[in-house]
Amino acid sequence: MKVSIFSTCLVDLMTPKVGIAMVEVLERLGCEIDYPASQVCCGQPTYNSGYLEDSKLAMKNMMLAFESSDYVVGPSGSCVAMFHEYPKIFKGDPDWELKAITLKEKSYEFTQFIVKVLGITDVGASLDGTATYHRSCHMTRLLGEKETPFQLLEHVKGLHMEPLKNSDNCCGFGGTFSVKMPDISEQMVDEKSSCVLDTGADILISADMGCLLNIGGRLSRKGEPVKIMHIAEVLNHRNPVIAKGGSQT
Amino acid sequence: MTVSGNHHTSGNNKESFLNTIASKLGRERRHEVQLPDIQSLLPDSYGSLTQDDLIDILKEQCFFIHTQVIESKPEILQRTLDDLIEANGGGSVMTSGDPRFAAYGLKFPGSFAWEEAAGRELNIMRAESANTAVIFADYALAESGTIVVESRPDQGRSLHFLPAHYIAVIEKERIVLRSTQAAAALNRRVQAGEPLGSSINLISGPSNSADIEMKLVVGVHGPLSATYVLI
Amino acid sequence: MSLQTDKRDFSERTTDGLGDSFMRNAVGSAQDSLKTRRLSAATALGDWEQWRTAGQQIRQHTLQNLDYYLEQLAGNIEKKGGHIYFAATKEEASSYIRDVIVQKKAKKIVKSKSMVTEEIELNHVLIEAGCELIETDLGEYILQMDDWDPPSHIVAPALHKDRRQIQRVFTEKLGYTDDESPEKLARFARKVLRQKFLEAEVGITGCNFAVANLGAINLVTNEGNGDLTAAIPKTHIAVMGMERIVPTLAEMEVLDNLLCRSAVGQKLTSYITVMGPSVAGDTDGPEEFHLVVVDNGRSDILGSEFNEALQCIRCGACLNVCPVYRHIGGHAYGSIYPGPIGAVITPLLGGYDDYKELPFASSLCAACTDVCPVRIPLHEQLILHRQNIVKENRTGSMERFQMKAAGRLLSSPALFGKTLRFAHPASRLMSKHGRIVRGPELIQGWIGARDLSQPVKQQDSFRAWLDKRKGESGE
Repeated sequence: MKVSIFSTCLVDLMTPKVGIAMVEVLERLGCEIDYPASQVCCGQPTYNSGYLEDSKLAMKNMMLAFESSDYVVGPSGSCVAMFHEYPKIFKGDPDWELKAITLKEKSYEFTQFIVKVLGITDVGASLDGTATYHRSCHMTRLLGEKETPFQLLEHVKGLHMEPLKNSDNCCGFGGTFSVKMPDISEQMVDEKSSCVLDTGADILISADMGCLLNIGGRLSRKGEPVKIMHIAEVLNHRNPVIAKGGSQT
Repeated sequence: MTVSGNHHTSGNNKESFLNTIASKLGRERRHEVQLPDIQSLLPDSYGSLTQDDLIDILKEQCFFIHTQVIESKPEILQRTLDDLIEANGGGSVMTSGDPRFAAYGLKFPGSFAWEEAAGRELNIMRAESANTAVIFADYALAESGTIVVESRPDQGRSLHFLPAHYIAVIEKERIVLRSTQAAAALNRRVQAGEPLGSSINLISGPSNSADIEMKLVVGVHGPLSATYVLI
Repeated sequence: MSLQTDKRDFSERTTDGLGDSFMRNAVGSAQDSLKTRRLSAATALGDWEQWRTAGQQIRQHTLQNLDYYLEQLAGNIEKKGGHIYFAATKEEASSYIRDVIVQKKAKKIVKSKSMVTEEIELNHVLIEAGCELIETDLGEYILQMDDWDPPSHIVAPALHKDRRQIQRVFTEKLGYTDDESPEKLARFARKVLRQKFLEAEVGITGCNFAVANLGAINLVTNEGNGDLTAAIPKTHIAVMGMERIVPTLAEMEVLDNLLCRSAVGQKLTSYITVMGPSVAGDTDGPEEFHLVVVDNGRSDILGSEFNEALQCIRCGACLNVCPVYRHIGGHAYGSIYPGPIGAVITPLLGGYDDYKELPFASSLCAACTDVCPVRIPLHEQLILHRQNIVKENRTGSMERFQMKAAGRLLSSPALFGKTLRFAHPASRLMSKHGRIVRGPELIQGWIGARDLSQPVKQQDSFRAWLDKRKGESGE
């Protein structure tokens, strides 16, 4: 199965390890990886700020970049959800509406793809530790994907999950919102960070890098040693094989 | 009942007001409309519920809305009501003028019944000074713990609100599942051109408020307590 | 009160809100407890999503045929001897009501909670005319006693106050002598207000929905003040936004269920009443009934891209789940309509001059859209506002420049390739130990509160890794 990777601009600019982990997991699950190099960004930063026409340029670039793909898979519920908005945005545009629908229909968030397309819930990962999961608003509400991350995390050996209080409250990232209204955003991320700390977890997992940069950045600023992991990194993690009689660390 | 004065009739403003709406909707005024079938969208939750199931549902819900439910029988209804009135601290009682009070042989010495002949001030004064109101429900809605009553010459609106305590007698066969059934029954009457009372009240328990710190306070402007007596 | 409750800048209002720790605790805990209550009441209906769809369809059908249903309503009200008045503006609405009252030489007015009467500045107009006006909803009464403090929530107007603040208000203004328990405070208000009901000459209520084929209004309350307001005075004046109408009792029942469950997590509130002009044989209730239908900017929304905002049934559920409202509170919106729905309709009713920040006061988390019982796409409407504000050139030249540049960058593989190459070296001057410590104004708020790593070096990037792999595999 050929899978085109939609890396997202945050992964391109900030967190290559997430892209790498995603590719390694998908390959392990038998996918053939393709990377359309002309991709840039889904257009969400400008779209959510109200700059519709400027955003359409970015969106058109993405529709063309993935035109020949069978499946488009990205490590971000939010960016993939943006793809899913394209048909609404290009509704009635004779040149682009069909392309928008096509892209929507073949694009999946990473965990969604594994569970719903590949039909796999156990990717053979193992990770010792206690973690909590932050569900991103766009992935759960706009993309409508609530379950797949949990289905996959459930099968990660050694990983204990703690529920996160108020998990449906936004972390305050909201793309340009956090830049435009930093004071409000700060209070939101503060509350989210407290909820994360209350779980006692030593790892915070999410399927969206934006939220993780936000919550992780806040936790780090407060000197809290919570480890931030994208779910692709968790699913790519394997505990080292220990010689007989040895103990796991 | 007249309001004189130049602009106090709907005629002049109404036309331009409604014309504006039509033009904003980009069409001519509409004089006929087909109501879409909404009810078919909604699941029929009645299923195979029996009358006993409905009573159980009603009782359970009443627990959540701070409403006491007492099961009684016509033979002992008088005593049940007397005990409840006593438990409310006695005092004066006001009932509706519902013929069912006579039919069940109910009497409350020294009490008043709402009556058209007494007129506005006297009825309101009696209700205001009553410690307990006793009325018969037209329907009860199990799911929400609601009684339905309609204003009539022998049952004014404020009877349900002014007395400190409120007792509604519910004949078990008048329990239906939800507000859906009550609304449908009332709507059938409207469509048949039958007049409805000027006030239809769906009452679910005592008055309450969460305006202070979202903490529930039972007993605000209306009754401080509500009791349903099932017969 | 008018639509606008605070003329200061949005940023000043927000700073006040963020600094009000009591308010934030109150709103936070209210949100948390309502969440569970709302969910269980919604689930109890069976298929909540289908009920939402039914609610949406009812509202859309009514809006599409609004002239028809209003005309039917008017005919039925008048047939019963009631009066109906159509007010295009808030001035028309409030002066009609004033004139009715002045003509009767009535002075004593009781009111039950109504947002639209706030919008038409009715209290102000009636007090100017010499009336003694009492808000009887407990929350509104508290605010009135506190020198007309503005409401901060459309269902729980005094949500921003704690019991001690309320105790202080009652002590200072009403000679209350007891402690701060909500029960005692409420019982005290009951006693004071009971007398007001009995003396009142005119009762003014809002209207949750008018029922067109019946010629009646529907009030949904918990305290019982709405019914007393309509039952005791000889004149009842009800005021409704023109879109708050249903065809029949059957549709009303669907919307009332959605409303009660969404607003307060009750299956039905304590009092749901359908009332209208009195009929022969009535001994209480109004001898004279007026219904005032208010446009005041609504018709401009009708048929526009914001049409769906008119579906709103004022349940407040979007406020109760909004993470922004949670932290800044209702007053920060500067409008009687706060929260997500407020951020959508306030700029429509009050204009962008005063309210252009509101549509941006959202992280677009879509919790509002998800919870709305009549499926208003609230977060999408906020984006539409943002687009209009951008089109009208109201976002400032700096932001504009940055966004235009971002638009070009994000659509050009070549420019983005250069960015990947230069982002790391360019960030060196702004960074310390791999973290960005200073930067353009745009990101200062961000890095003020959070650590942010430098962009990755090009040779370490994901794309470089892919290229390297490709090279190694000999493709």
